[in-house]
Amino acid sequence: MSEIMINLKEDLYDGKVDEVAAATQQALDEGISAGEILNQGLIAGMDVVGVDFKSGELFIPEVILCARAMHAGLEVLRPLLIETGIASLGKVVIGTVAGDMHDIGKNLVSMMLEGAGFEIIDLGTDVQPEQFVEIVRAEGADLVGMSALLTTTMLSMKSTIDALSEAGLRDSVRILVGGAPVTANFAEQIGADAYAADAGAAVDTARSLIEVQQT
Amino acid sequence: MTDEVKTQKPLIQYLSKNQVEMIHEGSLDLLEKTGIEVDHEAGLKVLAEAGAKVDFQEKRVRIPPSLVVRCLETVPDRFTLAARNPERDCPLVPGGTPFSRNGGGADFTIDLHTGEFRPMLSADVSSYFKLMDALDGISFIAPVFGHDMPVIGRDILMLREAFANTDKPIHLRAFSGETLKYMFEMAVIVAGSKEALKERPIVSLLEAPISPLKFLDVTVDALWLCGEYGIPLDVCVMPIAGGTGPMTMAGNVQLLNTEFLAGVVISQLAHPGAPLQYAPRPMAMDMRTGFSLAGSVELGMMAAAGAQMAHFYNVPVSLHGPWSDSMTHDGQSTFERMYMTIMAALAGANVLVGAGMMQQSLVISHEQLIIDDEINRTAFRAVQGFEIDEERLGANVISKVGPGGNFVAEEHTLKYLRGERYVPSLLYRGSREAWEASGSKTFVARAKDRALSILEEHQPNPLPEDISKELDKHVAKVLQLLEK
Repeated sequence: MSEIMINLKEDLYDGKVDEVAAATQQALDEGISAGEILNQGLIAGMDVVGVDFKSGELFIPEVILCARAMHAGLEVLRPLLIETGIASLGKVVIGTVAGDMHDIGKNLVSMMLEGAGFEIIDLGTDVQPEQFVEIVRAEGADLVGMSALLTTTMLSMKSTIDALSEAGLRDSVRILVGGAPVTANFAEQIGADAYAADAGAAVDTARSLIEVQQT
Repeated sequence: MTDEVKTQKPLIQYLSKNQVEMIHEGSLDLLEKTGIEVDHEAGLKVLAEAGAKVDFQEKRVRIPPSLVVRCLETVPDRFTLAARNPERDCPLVPGGTPFSRNGGGADFTIDLHTGEFRPMLSADVSSYFKLMDALDGISFIAPVFGHDMPVIGRDILMLREAFANTDKPIHLRAFSGETLKYMFEMAVIVAGSKEALKERPIVSLLEAPISPLKFLDVTVDALWLCGEYGIPLDVCVMPIAGGTGPMTMAGNVQLLNTEFLAGVVISQLAHPGAPLQYAPRPMAMDMRTGFSLAGSVELGMMAAAGAQMAHFYNVPVSLHGPWSDSMTHDGQSTFERMYMTIMAALAGANVLVGAGMMQQSLVISHEQLIIDDEINRTAFRAVQGFEIDEERLGANVISKVGPGGNFVAEEHTLKYLRGERYVPSLLYRGSREAWEASGSKTFVARAKDRALSILEEHQPNPLPEDISKELDKHVAKVLQLLEK
């Protein structure tokens, strides 16, 4: 691997936003293709970040910073990537369900998904089923993420899924749920596609849901 | 506002300033009028020459207040428990950072592999030493004993084993005055010379008068031998409330303080400036069974009062930390240990004693040691306090984030991400799914796993080969002498 690509990965790991943008440009100037910079540099770099996050070495804020650095690199590549047809991982509509005002968990998942390369449309808290329906339809979302902190509000997840079904949108999106009282069993009962226990797991699960959908 | 300010050092104080002085005056009065028993001919002579009223027939010594006050003046306010590896030194300073050691002397264990209760064997002792060497929450090490070692010389062999398995300071356990001297000679070999040992004492000792108010000949011998070699000594005063001490908590504190002052006089008369640590270890008799309790909340309260007396005399203080009456490393054990340790740490203890030990100080387990490592480190963290300055107070970042936002990816968060929080090794803090996927392991099961993995990986820093050989030669010689 060329020196510039090694530097790029190291700067990415250290979360150096400006340096990653500069290194991406330099790699292009040296004649490395946008696809190679993306796959061998930015994505491969984030994979290392992911491994160290899972082992407990890196903390969430550091992963988010790395993701920001990755985005700085992506911005440089974007015009070229659109030409070659490489876009975002997928569009995610996310929100805390109706009746529930708790959002730190949902925000963590948003930031982590964004870092992993998803496009995020965050609807905030106390999101009514019809709001989810409206935005999913308007944006052509690939994935819906729902969060709840309370045993009393998690049932809104079911009404939201029912509303998506009634609107004829259920088959066009994957649904991922999470939050303290939610379990894999509950997710299955209400007809969600998957459950994730924490922000890290949400990224992995979202990735695999999208891959399944795309194949 | 100054650049960086620590929070206050948290301190539990039961006694008012007046009450501290009442106890001090009470002790001076008891020493003068009631006195102590000293079963040591030379000791009686030294005390008499210094101005104490001595009844040689009754071995009773009545000490005038002026002599007590004079002897208190020569006790150093600080000293260092030195380590073979200087990075592991434990400097004991009143109001300073706390350290910890395991509970020494036990000779039963709960088998790490089978969970069976059984006599400890030398293999357990080696693995226990190795574990203690690896754990940051255990600052220095006291020997425990294997049943398969010869009875005569067992203490010598245990010290040999400890030197081989750790470069931390070692807290001795001697079976007699004679073996204690041999142990000091072993320490001289490792330190390089008697002067080097005095300069950097790599071993320390504990000696306890018999409550109430009685000093055996071995105790006086040990006090003096420590003075001669410059070895730090814990004057361990442990009346049992309702048994060997008054039923009242106040009375127990009164008695243990009196015994400590008597120890100071005996030590300092022979060796002014000898390093002493105040070790108030009040116990309490269970008035239904006669058992001596190790884990009742009142012990923590009395010990905290003892620590106040130590602070009044300006000497380092050693308290029981992780301590329990439980039969095994269970919920009761963790429960008692946690409050004992936090109370002791917040009372300003320089040393938290007890890791690994349970059931009337007879039993240790590797799992308990791992758990206590975590408890000690948690207590160290609590004592540390935290920093307060303008930047840490964070008005700027609070204002920047504003109502309803979050701080997760703010620069301020990244700046202080590491260092604000203690990261435990043993506490599970993940999701139920991940917990179930990794075998639904309980706290104790995780402690066992951690013990096994440390034992597999950890390599203690060995003694230099020449010292090791010389030590072996000395041990062989000593064992022969003891057999005669």
